[in-house]
Amino acid sequence: MAGIKLSAVKKTYPGSSEPAVKGVDLDIQDGEFVVLVGPSGCGKSTLLRMIAGLETISAGEIVIGDKVVNTMEPAERDIAMVFQNYALYPHMSVRQNLSYGLKNRKMARSEIDRRIEETAAILQIGDYLERKPRALSGGQRQRVAMGRAIVRDPAAFLFDEPLSNLDAKLRLHMRGEIKHLHNRLRTTSVYVTHDQLEAMTLADRLVVLNNGLIEQVGRPLDLYQKPASTFVAGFLGAPAMNLMEAEVAEGALMLGGAALAGGLQARPGRVTAGIRPEAIRLRAEPGNFRLDYVEELGGTRIVHGHIGAQRMIAQTDLATELSDEMTAELPGAELHFFHAETGQRL
Amino acid sequence: MVENRPFLTFLAHLVLILGVAFVALPVWIAFVASTHDQATFLGGSMPLWPGSNMWETYRTILTDGVPNSGTPPLTMMMTNSLIMALIITFGKIAISVISAFAIVYFRFPFRVLAFWIIFVTLMLPVEVRIMPTFKVVADLGLLNSYAGLSIPLIASATATFLFRQFFLTIPEELVEAARIDGAGPMKFFRDMVLPLSQTNIAALFVILFIYGWNQYLWPMLITTDEKFYTVVMGIKRMSDVADSDPQWNFVMGSAMLAMLPPVLVVIFMQRLFVKGLVEQEK
Repeated sequence: MAGIKLSAVKKTYPGSSEPAVKGVDLDIQDGEFVVLVGPSGCGKSTLLRMIAGLETISAGEIVIGDKVVNTMEPAERDIAMVFQNYALYPHMSVRQNLSYGLKNRKMARSEIDRRIEETAAILQIGDYLERKPRALSGGQRQRVAMGRAIVRDPAAFLFDEPLSNLDAKLRLHMRGEIKHLHNRLRTTSVYVTHDQLEAMTLADRLVVLNNGLIEQVGRPLDLYQKPASTFVAGFLGAPAMNLMEAEVAEGALMLGGAALAGGLQARPGRVTAGIRPEAIRLRAEPGNFRLDYVEELGGTRIVHGHIGAQRMIAQTDLATELSDEMTAELPGAELHFFHAETGQRL
Repeated sequence: MVENRPFLTFLAHLVLILGVAFVALPVWIAFVASTHDQATFLGGSMPLWPGSNMWETYRTILTDGVPNSGTPPLTMMMTNSLIMALIITFGKIAISVISAFAIVYFRFPFRVLAFWIIFVTLMLPVEVRIMPTFKVVADLGLLNSYAGLSIPLIASATATFLFRQFFLTIPEELVEAARIDGAGPMKFFRDMVLPLSQTNIAALFVILFIYGWNQYLWPMLITTDEKFYTVVMGIKRMSDVADSDPQWNFVMGSAMLAMLPPVLVVIFMQRLFVKGLVEQEK
């Protein structure tokens, strides 16, 4: 096991003028589960593949354990990777899939067998060790792909959107298993996903990437509660945070000439204000909120509506009575303020 | 589409039966012809049922040959054909699988150019380049040899192209997984590419074996020694006699035997084929 250290890592693909990764510094502790999350094209997969050694590094340095791995082959880096489409060897049985990497490392037959038994027990794949991948279901293939990583007992696991090929129910289940597995094995893991829910639930530390740069790093809850920019604010959480162009004047948040919240400490001036849907308090009495439509989630409701010209999404419990005209209360303590131009947190 | 109309069923069967008859009847006639003696044909009639001379015909062509048309025994010609076909088949598969591997998986200068040069040779089958190829083979002293028979036919791009197309469908992630598992290029070739190409190799084997076996013009040009005659050109020699009537029973008998190996290859490899297709990844 080992930590991973990235310093000013850059990647420019040949023939492209703009770098895909524009200088990333990241220090991953030994045993930590770090999730790289961001929209497609943000460079998260590229970053992971550079750690794996599948992409060359244009500039900067990657250290795994205490070795600079910039020019090392993937096999020499002591990492294991789980791919999105599993990448199992189709002509080999599960056992052969697991043992292939070990055999190539000239490991003793008895040690290989011992590790396979152990891995099979951890992942409960013992029953189909002799089957070929095509005879397995999606979830089973996913386990075998993870088994191929575990059996190697590497310094770090790299996950490249491993759950995105599974159906929703299985994805939830495997998410739990990955979390559980990490609690047990405590192997340094880097996990790439575009699913913010997956990212929130799995991560010890969350890295939000945007356009080749790190937007924010931190514990998932910290990022959720104190997003550093409008990008992070809009990316984490479902439904997403309401963001509005507004103005702070005399301690009140003014939107379209009407005061939404008062008693604020914020500096006067134009801002982008944000509030989580679950922080908005809706009351049935007619007021500033015009209801458009409602999504029923069973336990809660998502209420879509407008305050003035501003679209607003609120999440309420079932006890809240709904009507076409409602009053939305935005508690001052729940408001986030961002710079109107740069989008940075104020 | 499932339709159940008696008339359509009848029509479909009719067409299929006609098709089979169209293909099979000449084969049957050839077989029948090989079982009669020569006199039957010279009489001008064409029997439709086998005669009694079958044993005699096949014994003669297999062991003695047909001396008055200058053909050696068929066993020898068939052995020659077999050797030539197998060298062509294995040579072509070996060379093309390796060159396709190089073109798909390695980044070397002029890689695309190399591919296109190989591709362009598709337009140059033996028949087109027959004079220069003959000159090269003759200058190398390969006339009347198995090398001369097969090597010029090995050089072609069809198989390379086929393997290239197949390798391009192998997912990139599989290559990467193998790299992480410590498989170098040669190991990857042996452990991944070859096993995955099994069905393609089987298919190519069938096609190339028949291609090699049926070669006619090229063996005709470069063999003057009876020892290297192939069966397909032998049939032609048999039917081409000066000063007397062709011995049709021998010609037809040889044709029957010449047909046999390709048929066996198809029947035998077909099982491998179908197995491969069924086992194919979804």
